[in-house]
Amino acid sequence: MFRLTMLALTALTVSAQTRAYKDGEWPSYAADLAGTRYRPLDQINASNFSKLEVAWTFKTDSIGNRKEFKLEGTPLMVNGVVYTTAGSRRAAIALDAATGELLWVHGEHEGDRGAAAPRQLSGRGLAYWTDGKQERILYVTPGYRLICLDAKTGQAIPSFGKNGVVDLKLDDDQTILPDLTTGEIGLQSAPVVAKDTVIIGAAFREGMTPKSMRNNKGYVRGFDVKTGKRLWIFHTIPLKNEVGYNTWEKGSAEYTGNTGVWSQITVDEQLGLVYLPVESPTGDYYGGHRPGYNLFGESLVCVDLKTGQRKWHYQLVHHPLWDMDISSAPILADINVNGRAIKAVAQPTKQGFLYVFDRVTGKPVWDMEERSVEKGTVPDEWYSPTQPFPTKPPAYARNGVSKDDLIDFTPAMRDQALTIISKYHIGPVFTPPVESQLGGPLATLTLGTASGGTNWPGASYDPETHIVYAYACNACLTPIGLMRSPKTLSDMEYVAGTAGQEVRNRTGPGENAGADSPLPTRAPAPSPGRGGRGGAAPAAGGGGAGGLSVNGLPLIKPPYGTISAISLDKGEIVWQVAHGDTPDNIRAALKTAGVDAPRTGQLGYNVGTLITKTLVIAGEGQVTTTTDHPRGAMLRAYDKATGKDAGAVYMPAPETGSPMTYMMNGKQYIIIAVSGGNYSGEYIAFTLPAAEEHGPTAAQH
Amino acid sequence: MALRRLSISLLIAGAVLAQEATRSVWDGVYTEEQAGRGRALYNQHCASCHADTLMGGEMSPPLVGGEFMSNWNGLTLGDLFERIRTTMPQNNAGKLSRETNADITAYILSVNKFPSGKTELPHSAEFLRDIRIDSEKKQR
Repeated sequence: MFRLTMLALTALTVSAQTRAYKDGEWPSYAADLAGTRYRPLDQINASNFSKLEVAWTFKTDSIGNRKEFKLEGTPLMVNGVVYTTAGSRRAAIALDAATGELLWVHGEHEGDRGAAAPRQLSGRGLAYWTDGKQERILYVTPGYRLICLDAKTGQAIPSFGKNGVVDLKLDDDQTILPDLTTGEIGLQSAPVVAKDTVIIGAAFREGMTPKSMRNNKGYVRGFDVKTGKRLWIFHTIPLKNEVGYNTWEKGSAEYTGNTGVWSQITVDEQLGLVYLPVESPTGDYYGGHRPGYNLFGESLVCVDLKTGQRKWHYQLVHHPLWDMDISSAPILADINVNGRAIKAVAQPTKQGFLYVFDRVTGKPVWDMEERSVEKGTVPDEWYSPTQPFPTKPPAYARNGVSKDDLIDFTPAMRDQALTIISKYHIGPVFTPPVESQLGGPLATLTLGTASGGTNWPGASYDPETHIVYAYACNACLTPIGLMRSPKTLSDMEYVAGTAGQEVRNRTGPGENAGADSPLPTRAPAPSPGRGGRGGAAPAAGGGGAGGLSVNGLPLIKPPYGTISAISLDKGEIVWQVAHGDTPDNIRAALKTAGVDAPRTGQLGYNVGTLITKTLVIAGEGQVTTTTDHPRGAMLRAYDKATGKDAGAVYMPAPETGSPMTYMMNGKQYIIIAVSGGNYSGEYIAFTLPAAEEHGPTAAQH
Repeated sequence: MALRRLSISLLIAGAVLAQEATRSVWDGVYTEEQAGRGRALYNQHCASCHADTLMGGEMSPPLVGGEFMSNWNGLTLGDLFERIRTTMPQNNAGKLSRETNADITAYILSVNKFPSGKTELPHSAEFLRDIRIDSEKKQR
């Protein structure tokens, strides 16, 4: 096996031929392998952004057997063709970049395997590869199979894997349990291709209430893009003889699972290094069955592109208990700190810290301090006495809860908020979860955890100015309470739950929702609930409906969502703005209270940014109805240098995937995925009106 | 250009349609009893994602409060009912009867503190399109 791999690698080195992509193309999920989401285009700029018009739309309803309301893809554009994933089938599609005309569609019917997949629906995108002659598209199905297609036709490449398919549940240095059909493992992010290696991570179900402390492991693998042959594997949970194994006490590395890389992977092709953002181990909020630091859980790991061998790692959270994961693409940045040139990697996070390392050595660019943190009291939990804190840049989003963060539109509202939080445990970042008690605390109230800060859409980076632009949810509250698990639910001692409420399996969107899941049945199911068999009553006065809101308003004060510009040369926040119109109900409440407040921004974790030569572009994650626009959401532009508004254009539904841009026939386009509420998934391409395309000269005619 | 014009006219058509709704969620469009049934059904079919409190999960949207109201403000109960009917519950979309979906919708209205009344929510989207979702009570 080893010799074979070496042979393949030699061949790979000789044949590797990197095509120079044009600035007007968008050849990989995050624009480039450095994760920048940046294109230096400027036809669309502050002078004309608000004049953008819909060039074409692509509704994804028919790509699968049901509509999808969670379209998260970022398309690619190469050679005049837009490629993306779409629909409840998660098909790969190719569209004409100028008109949106469907060129081909490739969907896989996976039957029971697709129906059992942990991460269904359309996924976040795909990968493009070319050697200058052949062009290929690669994506991962819900059932965890890597598909390789001819980019021109959408037909499977027969010489790749078995007839264009690599079964990712095989050859994974573990037996996926309980069987290939139902074994829990999948992936919703886009594959990455660097040189001639396809790199694939893994994702699992939401981890608030795992069925078991045992689960499949999320290893990362590299495959030959020409043949589909596995080239290497990296064990995100180390094997017995590997570095990090001893950070899993009581043999817990043997049975603990998850710890995958479900977000985007970043590669430095010149250095031949791959950057892996690793997620939480099994049990998002309870780690009593995995005592120890749990490497490489919630670690940024650098591995060799050719071999998968670990070069360095840095664990951002020891013994993870907050579902912080590492949730987005690491960003490669060549920066200059105090006159010193550094090849850096910057990692945005849910906890609102932007961690910056020398990407060659793994050493933090600014000191990282191991500070003492609160020790929790949940029985049999293992607590890390310290956690690493970056000294620079400062946190760009709230990551703890204090009384100063509470709503203060009026004194009465603040008093109500104080009453509500008195039933919760609060504290700064890394305040541990509690066992939920009816008399309080019901939970630890957290910001900057499960859905806080920067999530999967990631941030953007300008390689000219060395500034990172990051959207963050600044007020996404997650109460983390633990309850003893009923044995029928899980073999774990504790799972997420709230005292006074039934402890239930918590699922996430995308599970059981794809095209292979059971179809709607025409015969109505019986309604055993009719006649008053009620569920447990919400806990009095705390967990009740709207318990974490004050008169329907967020408990935490604005800004709810922000975009921050962070200089990597200085380690400082350059500017920060609230992103998104003030939501309707908040606008009304402010008016009633007679409070004149600036734009509040909006709650939401799935907003992504795009940056161009002069603009930061991001859509709103919520619908509003204002005097400026009918019911809808705005795609907004900000001046990159100052954060000032630079225009906005109407969208019929919120942004649910990160925007991208390209040039086609001399025109700049922006594509964005929208969906949600009653609006099913749609890609919208914007461009300037005809009169604008040739600039001021044309306007004179 | 033509597309843009098309989408604008669709929007206008949508707005006109919504304006044709003669009642709103403030007019007592469900009964307490119906919401009570809806609560049990909600706990059975919906709570594992959207939580007992309707506040949503880590990744599932809330069905109460400002974000939820922003999403549906200006649409009709018919729109909400059809979204639920055709896509929920996620693990077996479409399996619930119209009566069940109407009861659950009534429960959602009650948790959002819209007043109850003397008649139950109807079970068909056509009739529910007559009831507008207004996050604020409109003075008439």
